[in-house]
Amino acid sequence: MRAISSFPAAAFDTALKFAIIIASSLALSVSAAAQDALPGLTKYQQDFIDVPANLSLFGLTKEKLIDRLSGQEPETVRAAVTAMMETLEKRPYKPAAPIERDIAEPLEPAGDYAEIPMNTKAGRYNSSKTLRPAILDEFAREPGIFSVKRYLGETDGIPTFANAPVAVRLEDLVASSVDVAFVGVPLNLGSGWRDAQHAPGALRAMHGLSGYDVYAGLDPALELTLADYGDISVDRLSIDMSVGHVRETVAAMVSAGVVPFIIGGDHSVMYPAVAAMTDTLGSDDITIVHLDAHPNALRGLAHPLVDQNAVSALIEDNLMKGSNLVQLGLRGRDLSDDVLSWLRSQDVRYHTMAEVEERGWDRVMKAALSEAKAGPGRVFISFDMSVLDPAEGPGAGRPEAAGLTMREVLPFLRRLCAETQVAGFGIFDVTPYLDLSYQTPLNANSVLHACLSGIALRKKGLTKDAYLSDLTRRD
Amino acid sequence: MMYVKSLAALFFSLSCAAASLAQAQQTEPAPSQDKADGEDAELKLPRFLLKDDTQKADEEKKDKPNPLKDLEYTPSKDGEVPVHIDAATPGMMERPPLELPEDVAARITFLPEDTISYLKSGKTNAIVRPDKMFKKILAAQSDEQIIAYIKAIMSVDDQMTYKEGRDKASIALDTQAANFNTWRSLRPAELDPAREAGPIALSRYMGGRGGGIPTFAGAPLAKTPEDLIAGEVEVAIVGAPLDMGSGWRDARHGPLAMRVMGRGLGGTDVATMINPGEALNIVDYGDIAIDQMSTERSMKEVRRVVGEIAKTGAVPFIIGGDHSLEYPNVAAMADVYGKGKVGVIHFDAHLDTGRGRPHLMSHGQPIYRLMREAHVRPEDYIQVGLRAHYSKQYYEWQRLIGMRYHTMAEVERRGWDAVLDRVLMEASENTEYLYISFDVDVLDPAFEPGTGTPVSGGLDMREAITIVRRLCAESNVIGFDLVELAPEIDPTYRSTLNANSLVFACLTGMAMRKQGIEDPHFISDLSSDHSRNDFYEEKNRKSDRQTTEDKQGDKK
Repeated sequence: MRAISSFPAAAFDTALKFAIIIASSLALSVSAAAQDALPGLTKYQQDFIDVPANLSLFGLTKEKLIDRLSGQEPETVRAAVTAMMETLEKRPYKPAAPIERDIAEPLEPAGDYAEIPMNTKAGRYNSSKTLRPAILDEFAREPGIFSVKRYLGETDGIPTFANAPVAVRLEDLVASSVDVAFVGVPLNLGSGWRDAQHAPGALRAMHGLSGYDVYAGLDPALELTLADYGDISVDRLSIDMSVGHVRETVAAMVSAGVVPFIIGGDHSVMYPAVAAMTDTLGSDDITIVHLDAHPNALRGLAHPLVDQNAVSALIEDNLMKGSNLVQLGLRGRDLSDDVLSWLRSQDVRYHTMAEVEERGWDRVMKAALSEAKAGPGRVFISFDMSVLDPAEGPGAGRPEAAGLTMREVLPFLRRLCAETQVAGFGIFDVTPYLDLSYQTPLNANSVLHACLSGIALRKKGLTKDAYLSDLTRRD
Repeated sequence: MMYVKSLAALFFSLSCAAASLAQAQQTEPAPSQDKADGEDAELKLPRFLLKDDTQKADEEKKDKPNPLKDLEYTPSKDGEVPVHIDAATPGMMERPPLELPEDVAARITFLPEDTISYLKSGKTNAIVRPDKMFKKILAAQSDEQIIAYIKAIMSVDDQMTYKEGRDKASIALDTQAANFNTWRSLRPAELDPAREAGPIALSRYMGGRGGGIPTFAGAPLAKTPEDLIAGEVEVAIVGAPLDMGSGWRDARHGPLAMRVMGRGLGGTDVATMINPGEALNIVDYGDIAIDQMSTERSMKEVRRVVGEIAKTGAVPFIIGGDHSLEYPNVAAMADVYGKGKVGVIHFDAHLDTGRGRPHLMSHGQPIYRLMREAHVRPEDYIQVGLRAHYSKQYYEWQRLIGMRYHTMAEVERRGWDAVLDRVLMEASENTEYLYISFDVDVLDPAFEPGTGTPVSGGLDMREAITIVRRLCAESNVIGFDLVELAPEIDPTYRSTLNANSLVFACLTGMAMRKQGIEDPHFISDLSSDHSRNDFYEEKNRKSDRQTTEDKQGDKK
């Protein structure tokens, strides 16, 4: 009452008029929607506006379009729809001969690129991924992992993942019978903020990946043989030029009996990582557990592989079965009815944050664990930093509000890694520069440590459901 | 003789050889190794000062190829490829032959003729230093070890270069993709309410600090060339958020940060008492579509839009984005004003004349491609502020083809004022038109931490503002870009404010030129002297420094 009484009369008058305008425009849109057609459109044009996907790119629905154009001259209506149709017709690839010029301009073709030309004359075309054979080492050493620390218990110095010894070549992993080898893949072509190339460095320089795990009651570094296998060389300007070498390198690690812990890199690295699992274990024998705000299942993109289509590309290339994929934590911008329907059609076991809200995390976690256990065998985990709430993982390339917490994620990963046989783990889209604090690298390392502890539990035969160390409980 | 029968056999032989070489090293350490490490030897000099090692280094220098030593500078002609442009492309030059020492030659007589001629060809230089290779050969305990060692070198050599059938020659795209060109599809004007062509004011108010919608300099929005023509626009500021830099990335957010910042890009310039926002017709032309997965694929749309702006008579100001944008920006200038007619000032810590790399375009290569396609003559390319760690050969080549480079070494040797004068003189020496490409990493990281590939020891803002304002006032600037602002690297406002201030400096200069201020290094008397006393003792020497301002006053 107070508010209204102090309202100037003129303003009140305006507000009233405004309310009337809103009411009448609502009435208008209702009647227009009921009308379901626009005057003057051809049958072809009418069919065009009947397809929701044609209109959504313009931010429109059929109702909104009719609302906007009703009352206009038929020519105006036709012109608008024609313009939309012409716009969409320009989207597909249009081949054309390159321009004939006196001077070659490979970057200015008259039509669309079907492929992006490379400079094959470059003298060092492959040098970044050409391996240096041991025989070319200036000083020979026997194969095997070796420490880069000078002191017992040295934690800083030359930084390595989990302060683990270093393996330079595959022979080193084999000679030392390494259980888990960390390897960086600094590919930095994510669709959000870019800085994933600095994740391997930041995680090596941060603690949290070594020492005792209070839930499991063990130090995974003592139970397992760990190694830092350095980074896999990537072409920083092209995912496509990078995937082959990443896939070969990871597959060689798996073939050598190692569980690779892959530190990305953006989430496109999931593709060569899972492909390597399939190459070595077969797509029938691998379950993928994918924690991410984003399903990464866009289709119809000009680039065959980016972070946003890693999942759909793996399924469409027959490298992963939809029915063997469990997704957790989905929310945010890449989702749409179209994407969710497609995931459903592929038999993907997806769990959105809406499901977590409805059922509670415990039940969703148990559902995901039982799906992973019921799967065909070994498990690969693809962990995107964005699955965490930005409060706990601000350094994520594509952060989304309202995600999982560390206290939800850690028990799940420890259990998953203890109660199933893990074949590999990938953590992607950690972007250190977005976080001025230590928080993101520490939490990323803790995520890896939780799974590492689970793997150590399994090695000790402690695989019963939800195992906790006796010393941590008061029975 | 075919060495590599199969990969497996090769690796087997390699690992055997490696093992036996390891043995060799353990039992028989190379004699030179413990030369200065004798137990009781008194250390007189650190190793790097020992004379024989220095001599060795001198010998190695002699071995380094200099393909340019017999070439002479040849002036370039408009629209023609510079004669020596491909004379010294890194990674693509012939290696000089390798002379085998007598003992090495004697040790490898058992090798087939083609293997020995491979060693003599000098190709091994790319893989292993000659002295180290010779040492290995002489230390080997059997012929087999030497064979395995040389096989490994040849195998690496083979793997490093492109091989048809084995390596991808291009990056394939999905031509069936429904969204192949969605990224650069234009929104039909018919979907918005009909409006007259011309810049659109986004503010609701007569005054105040703008209407809330952030634009460059708070300027009105133009969406089409028709808007530019109808509004008689003189400067169109356009974003190009390409984010493929080789260091820290975030250049994508440069345009956004500069729009949202607001500060630094408006008001009256204290040095000149000119308000460029009032003097010039400025618009925000929105952003140019970018394919964030491919620099190459983005070039064409940038070139098209920049050309579209320039053709209307407006000066495009392109806000990057990474420095590969210099290529489409300047190529568009050549499309509009003619090949060889445009000179470029390239402010940068980096040379950006990279070439011979697997990718045809990146933010380290725009200048090479602009000269190679004859858009700009090397003589008309002026680089300022260089200091990143490029090899000597880059400078030898740049000097040979006639580029004008100004490093921070020149600033250290001559002082900034002298270099400034030289650059200003060169800017209008050869060409009627000038394009300015400003990479913010030319600034010292103290002033511009928010950039992807910062280099210490750069310009300060007072130097940069002055040279940019003077260039824009004292030459015919037809285009300007500001690139490599990566706001996320800098948690403060500083990098973005400084970027805005540099754009403002050029706008000020252009406004001065429009108003007919012709004096070199014009400074307003009003703002630079309160005139209550004659501290600088200039009253009796007025003719020394009579400014345009005074002249205008005299006329009145």
